[in-house]
Amino acid sequence: MEWNQETVQFLSHCFLNTLSPSPAPRRQAESSLASASEQPNYALVVLRLVAEPSVDEQIRMAAALNFKNHLRLWWTRSSTDPSVPTDSRIQGPEKEQIKSLIVPLMLSSATRIQNQLSEALAVISKHDFPKSWPQLLPDLVSSLQKASAASDYVSVIGILSTANSIFKKFRYQYKTNDLLLDLKYCLDNFASPLLEIFLKTAQLIDYTSGPVGTAETLRPLFESQRLCCRIFYSLNFIDLPEFFEDHMREWMTEFQKYLTTCYPSLEKSGTNGLIIVDELRAAVCENINLYMEKNEEEFQGYLHTFATAVWSLLGDVSQSSSRDRLAITAIKFLTTVSTSVHHTLFAGDGVIQQICQSIVIPNVRLREEDEELFEMNYVEFIRRDMEGSDLDTRRRIACELFKGIATNYKAHVTAILSVQIQNLLSSFAANPAANWKDKDCAIYLVVSLATKRTAGGSVSASTDLIDVNSFFATVIVSELQNQNVSEFPMLKAGALKFFTMFRSHIPKDVALGLVPDVVRLLTSESNVVHSYAASCIEKLFLVKDEGGKARYTSKDIDPVLLMLMNNLFTALRYSESEENQYVMKCIMRVLAVADLSQGVVAPSIAGLTSVLNEVCKNPKNPVFNHYLFESISVLVRRACERDASLISTFEATLFPTLQTILSNDVTEFFPYAFQLLAQLVDLNRSPIPASYMPIFEILLSADLWNRSSNVPALVRLLQSFLQKAPHELNREGWLSLVLGIFNRLIASPSTEEQGFYVLNTVIENLEYSVIANYMSHIWHALFTRLHKKQTVKFVKSLLIFMSLFLVKHGSENLVISMNAVQTGIFVMILEQIWIPNLKLITGTIEVKLTAVASARLLCECPDILDVAAARHWGKMLDSLVTLLSRPEEDRVEGEPEVPDIAENVAYTAAFVSLQNAGKKEEDPLKDVRDAKEFLVASLTRISALYPGRFPQIISEALDAANQSALVQFCNIYKCVLV
Amino acid sequence: MTDESSPHRRDPIKSSVGNAAAQRRRQNAASVGKERRESLMRAKRFCRVGVSTAIDDNDDSPDHDMVIDEEESILEAQASSAVEELKAAVAFQGKGAVQKKISALQKLRRLLSRSEFPPVEVALKAGAIPLLVQCLSFGSLDEQLLEAAWCLTNIAAGKPDETRALLPALPLLIAHIGEKSSLPVAEQCAWALGNVAGEGEDLRNILLSQGALLPLARMMLPNKGSTVRTAAWALSNLIKGPDQKAATELIKINGVLKAIIQHLKNADDELATEVAWVIVYLSALSNMATIMLVKSNVVQLLVERLASSNSLQLLIPVLRSLGNLVAGDSCTTYDLLAPGHEITDSVITVLVKCLKSEHRVLKKEAAWVLSNIAAGSVEHKQLIFSSEALPLLLHLLSSAPFDIRKEVAYTLGNICVGPVEGDGRPKLIVEHLVSLVNHGCLSGFIELIRSIDAEAARLGLQFMELVLRGMPNGEGPKLVEQEDGIDAMERFQFHENDDLRNMANGLVDKYFGEDYGLEESSS
Repeated sequence: MEWNQETVQFLSHCFLNTLSPSPAPRRQAESSLASASEQPNYALVVLRLVAEPSVDEQIRMAAALNFKNHLRLWWTRSSTDPSVPTDSRIQGPEKEQIKSLIVPLMLSSATRIQNQLSEALAVISKHDFPKSWPQLLPDLVSSLQKASAASDYVSVIGILSTANSIFKKFRYQYKTNDLLLDLKYCLDNFASPLLEIFLKTAQLIDYTSGPVGTAETLRPLFESQRLCCRIFYSLNFIDLPEFFEDHMREWMTEFQKYLTTCYPSLEKSGTNGLIIVDELRAAVCENINLYMEKNEEEFQGYLHTFATAVWSLLGDVSQSSSRDRLAITAIKFLTTVSTSVHHTLFAGDGVIQQICQSIVIPNVRLREEDEELFEMNYVEFIRRDMEGSDLDTRRRIACELFKGIATNYKAHVTAILSVQIQNLLSSFAANPAANWKDKDCAIYLVVSLATKRTAGGSVSASTDLIDVNSFFATVIVSELQNQNVSEFPMLKAGALKFFTMFRSHIPKDVALGLVPDVVRLLTSESNVVHSYAASCIEKLFLVKDEGGKARYTSKDIDPVLLMLMNNLFTALRYSESEENQYVMKCIMRVLAVADLSQGVVAPSIAGLTSVLNEVCKNPKNPVFNHYLFESISVLVRRACERDASLISTFEATLFPTLQTILSNDVTEFFPYAFQLLAQLVDLNRSPIPASYMPIFEILLSADLWNRSSNVPALVRLLQSFLQKAPHELNREGWLSLVLGIFNRLIASPSTEEQGFYVLNTVIENLEYSVIANYMSHIWHALFTRLHKKQTVKFVKSLLIFMSLFLVKHGSENLVISMNAVQTGIFVMILEQIWIPNLKLITGTIEVKLTAVASARLLCECPDILDVAAARHWGKMLDSLVTLLSRPEEDRVEGEPEVPDIAENVAYTAAFVSLQNAGKKEEDPLKDVRDAKEFLVASLTRISALYPGRFPQIISEALDAANQSALVQFCNIYKCVLV
Repeated sequence: MTDESSPHRRDPIKSSVGNAAAQRRRQNAASVGKERRESLMRAKRFCRVGVSTAIDDNDDSPDHDMVIDEEESILEAQASSAVEELKAAVAFQGKGAVQKKISALQKLRRLLSRSEFPPVEVALKAGAIPLLVQCLSFGSLDEQLLEAAWCLTNIAAGKPDETRALLPALPLLIAHIGEKSSLPVAEQCAWALGNVAGEGEDLRNILLSQGALLPLARMMLPNKGSTVRTAAWALSNLIKGPDQKAATELIKINGVLKAIIQHLKNADDELATEVAWVIVYLSALSNMATIMLVKSNVVQLLVERLASSNSLQLLIPVLRSLGNLVAGDSCTTYDLLAPGHEITDSVITVLVKCLKSEHRVLKKEAAWVLSNIAAGSVEHKQLIFSSEALPLLLHLLSSAPFDIRKEVAYTLGNICVGPVEGDGRPKLIVEHLVSLVNHGCLSGFIELIRSIDAEAARLGLQFMELVLRGMPNGEGPKLVEQEDGIDAMERFQFHENDDLRNMANGLVDKYFGEDYGLEESSS
C-alpha cells in the first residue's frame, strides 16, 4: 500500500464509516479495511494518516485505534496454533519505519490519540524492547528532558505513561538473568532522568500549591508525579537498585510530603481534584509498602515517620465514602508493618483498640457504593462478597489488617473484636430500622475473620471469635425466618452467607428446620438474596460427615422438593437472573441428589428445555450454560436409570432443540449437543431409532471435525454410534464416508490429530471383519502422508494407531494387511518408524499401549522372530527397554515440539466436558496391569521355546544401561531369560 | 470462595509443582542492587598514598602548604594552573626538561590526591589527559611514569565520564604493567586500569581486547608484596562479566590457579580478600574455572578461612566463592562434600557460624549455600536435617528479613524433597517434611505465598504442595487450612503471572475443590 491521495481518501472514507450507526456501511467499511490490512505497509500508511493534520480528528482517532489493534494482531505471530498462518504481515523495514515514527508522533498528538499510540507502542515494546529497539529509551529520555525544560507537561505525561507501560513487566516476571539485564539497561538509562523530573515537578508543586496556584496548573503536575511513582514501583520491584538506594532520601522526602500535606487549591476543586491527589498518595503507599516488604532494613529509618503519616491520613480517609484506592493501599501498608519484625509499633497501650475503632470498623461499614452495587450489579457484588475477589475492597482489606495484627497479638485482637461485635449488635437491637448496617457490619466481621477451611469437599469457615451456634441462633435465624422476603435484603444476604460459610457447624436438625425458609428466600426479588439462597442449598448438599458420607440426602429435601424446584425456576424469571449461574447450579445439584419421581421430571425437563431454547438465541454466560447442560444430562441419566422408558420422552423434548442448535450453527453448544446425543444413544437399546440417522449424517460433515474443540465430543458420539449400530452403519455405506473424513483430516498436519481420533475410534470399536475391506485404503492414506511429510507428531500417532490395531485385531492381521499394500513394507516401517521412534511416546496410557504391542510383536510375530531378523529383534527390545526404563524427559529431547496425544485427548480449553454425560478416557488394555511385567513374562515364555538364543541377542544389541534395566525388570518380577 | 466446577475458566496445571522444589541455584550473574562489599570501596579506589617509597616525596607531608578542606574554587584554580604548567613542561625541550615535567606532574598529582573532592573535572577540561599520555611514553623515567599513572588513577576514580576520559591512555597503561616495568610503575598502572575496569562492561571489553588480562594475571603470580594485591583487585574488576569469557581465559593462564591456592593458603586477610573476590567471579561465571577450582583443594582452603577469620570483608567473598562452587559443578562438589568426610562437617560448621553471625549478608549467603547443598543427595539432606543448622533455619524463617527468609525457605524446601526419581517426579522425604511442619514452618511458607515477590510465592506454593500431597493420613489439607492457606492461594486467582496462577488454582482445585456429586447421586 502506498501513501497517496487516493489511499488517504479511501482509508478516511472507511474509517469514517466504521463509526456509522447503521450496520450496512459499517460492515462494508470493516471488511474493506480487513482486506486492505493484508497489504504490506498497511500499518505504516494508517500511522501516517493518524499524523495527517488535514484529516478530520474523528477519522484519525478511528485510525489510531485500528493501528493499535492491527499491531496487536500482527506485530509478531505466535506459531503455536497451527491453523493460523505464521507469516507476519508487518515486515522488517515497515517495522523499523513505524518504530522511528511513533514516539514523536505520539508526543505531538492530542490526548485521545496519544493514548492509543502509547498502547500501540507498548505492544511493540513487549516484543522488541530493549534488544530490537535500542533507540527507544534514549529517545524517550531526550524527549523527556526537552519536555521538562519547556515545562510541557502534556508531553512529559505522554512519555512517562509510555515508560510506565513498558516497565510493567518487571513487576510480575520471575527473576532471570535476561530480565535482570533488561532491568539494568532500563535503570542505567532511566533511573536518573526519572529522579530529575520527579524532583523538578516536586519543586513546581511546592511553588504552585500555595495560594497562587490553580487547580489547572497543579493537575498535570500531580499526574506526572503519580506516573513517576508507578515507574519507581516497577524499577524497584525485583531488587533495590543501587541508584535508588543512593537516592532514597530524596525520594522518601517527597513521598512523605504527599502523604502529610494538604493541597486545598486542587483537592477542593470539584470531586476530581481530590481523586488526583489521592491517586498520587495511593501510588506512594504502594511504593513504601514494597520497600517495607522487601527492603525493610534499608527502609527502617523511614518507617516510623511513614507509619505515623499513614495512620493519621487513614483517620481522615476512613470517614470518607469515596477515596477507596487510597484507603486500600494505606491499610495494606499498615498490614505489612503489622506482620513484620517491627510489629511492636502496634504494641502500645490502646493502639489496637484505636485501630479497630478509627480504621477497621469505619471501613467495614457498608457504604452507599456497596448498596448501589448490591442493587445494580449483583454479579459483581457476589464476586466480591462471596468469591474472594474482594482483595481490593475496603471491607476486606480492613479485615486483613486485623488478621495481620492478630498474627502477633491474637488474644488482644479477639477480645477487642468480641466487644465490638456485641456493641454493634446491641446498637442494632436498640433500633433495627436505623441501625441495620451495624448488624451487617458484625456479620461481615465474623465471616471475614473466620479461617477458610474445607469440609465435605468444599470451602467453608471456622472461627474462634464467637460461638457459631449461639451466634447463628440469636443473630442469623431471625433474619432467615423473617416472613417479609424483601425487607433488609442486605441483612438477609449476610445471614445466608453466614449459613453457607458455617454450614458444617450447624447441626442437621437446625439446618433442616430452616430449609423451607431458605426455599422461600428464593422468591425474593433481590438478585443477591435469591442467588445466595440457591447457593446455600447447593452447598448444603456438599456437606459431608466424618467418613465422607453426605449429610443431607434425597429424603431430607423430599418434603420441599416441588416447592424448591418451582421457586428455582421462578427465580430464573426475575429480571437479570435469566442466566443466574447460582440458581442453575443449584438446579443441577438438586437433580443430582433428589428422588426423581415423575412429578419432578416432567416440569424439570420442560423448564430446562425452555431455558435452553432461550439461551440458544444468544449464548452469553458460559458458566450458566455449562450448568444448564449438566442439569439436563444429570436429569436424563438419573431419570432413565429409574425408568428406562423415559428415554423416548427425553428424545421427543430435546431433539427439536438439538436440531436447532445444529441447524442454526450455535457453535458454542456443539460440544454439549454431541455429548447429550451420545448419552441418548447410549441409553437406547439396539437397534437405535431411525430418528437418529439424520444426526449421524451430521457426523459425516468434515467441517465439524476441522474444529478441534468439537473433536472430543464428536469422537464420543461416534463411539456411541459405532457401538450401538455397527452393522447399520456399514450397510448404509456410511463407514466408507467416515473413513473419507479420516482421509481428508489426515492429509494436513493441522488436522491430522483429529484424523487419528476418527480412525482409532473405528479400529477400536468395530470387528475386524467389518473393517478388513477398508484396510488397504487406510494404510495407503497413511503411507502416502508419511511419504509426503514425516513429522514427529505424525509418526507418534501412527505408532499408537498400529499398536491399537495390534492389540485389538492381532499382529497377524496387522502384518498381512500392511504387506498387502506393498510387499515387505511392514519390516520397513518397523525398522524406520517403529523402532527409532518408540522411545518418544509419552503419556501413561500411550506408553503402556505401545509397549505391550511392541512386546507382542517381539514374542509372536514370525517376521521378527525369524533368525534372520535377529538384528531387528534386538533393536526393538533395546528401544522398548528405553521406553520403559527411562523417565520421559530423558527420552524425549528438549521441549516436545507439539503437545502429545494424551494432552489433546484431555478435555482442555475450548472443549467442555459434561460430567454427567461423560465417559472416562478408556484404557484399551485394562487387563494388562503393568507393561514391564507383561514384557518380561512374554520374554520368559518365548525364551523357554528357544533356549540360549535371546540372551545372546540381548548382550549384543542392548546398550549397557538397558541390559541392566532389563535384568532389574526380571528381578522385580522374578523371571529368568534362558 | 472459588467456583471450581467451571472447567474452562482455568488452565490445567502445566507442570507439577513438586518438580521444581529441589534445585540448585547460582546467584544471578546480572545484578541491579548495590554491590555490597561492606565499607570497602571496591569498584573504584582512590590513591591517596603512593604505592611505593620509590618516590622521594619529602614535601608530601601533611603540614605542607595544602589544606585538606581548601575551598573548591581555589583548588580548581590551582588544578587548572597545574595542568598549564604541565603543558609548558611537556613542550619544553631544554635542559632539565625531565625534572620540570616530574615536578609539574607531582603538583597535579598532589591536587588530585588530597581533597575529598579532587578537581578532576577542571583538570580534564584543561586538557590533562593528552599530556599525561605523553608522559607515559616509553623510555621515560620511572618517577615520571609513576606520577603520571597516579594522576590517571585518581582521575579514573571519579565519575563515569571522568573514568571514560582515560580511553586514550589505556594502551600505554597496559604496556607498563608488562614484565619489563619496575614493580611500582606496574602496580600504579594496574591500579589505574582496575578503576577503569570497575566502571562498566564496555570498558572491560576494551581492556580485554587491548590485552590487559595476561599481564595483570602475571602480576599476581610471584610474591611481589602489594603488587599482588592491587593486581588481584584489578583482575576481579576486569573479569566480572557478565560475559564469562575473561574468567575462563584467566583460569587457563598457566600458574594462575596455583597462585590463587598459594595466596589463599598463606596470605594475610587483606590479600586473601582480593584473591577471594577473584574466585567469586571465576566461579560465578566460568564452568571451566569452577571445575578446576573444585578439583584443586580450594574448597578446603575456603573453609579454613571461614573458620579462622572474623573479618567481614574477607568472609563475604570467601562464603560467596564457596557457594558458587557448590552451586556450580554439582557432581564433583557432592563427591567432595560427601557426608562422612571431614571437610563436609567443617563446611556445615562454618555455615552455622555464618548463620549465627549478626551480619545479614553472611546469614543470607550461608542460607544460600546450604540450600544448594540441600539440593544434593538424600544423605546431604539428612546431614543438614540433623545438624545444628536446622533450628537456626527454622528460627530465621519466621523472624528474618525477607531476602534471608527466602533463602532459608529454599533450604528447608530442598531438605524435604529427594532427587528426581524414575518417573520424573522428585520423591518426598516424609520424615523431614513431618518434622519441619511439626516445628511450625508451614506458616513461614504461607507468609511467603502472600509476598508480592513472584519467586518467593512460587517457593511457598511448592512447599504447600508438598504438605498437601505428602503429610501422612491426609493431614495436609487440614494443616494448610488451619494456617489460612486457602485464603493465601486464592489471592492468585487472577494473578498476572500465569505460572503462579495455574499452580495456586490447581492446588485449590485438587485439594479443596468440590466434588461433583456424581458418586453420591448414583448410590
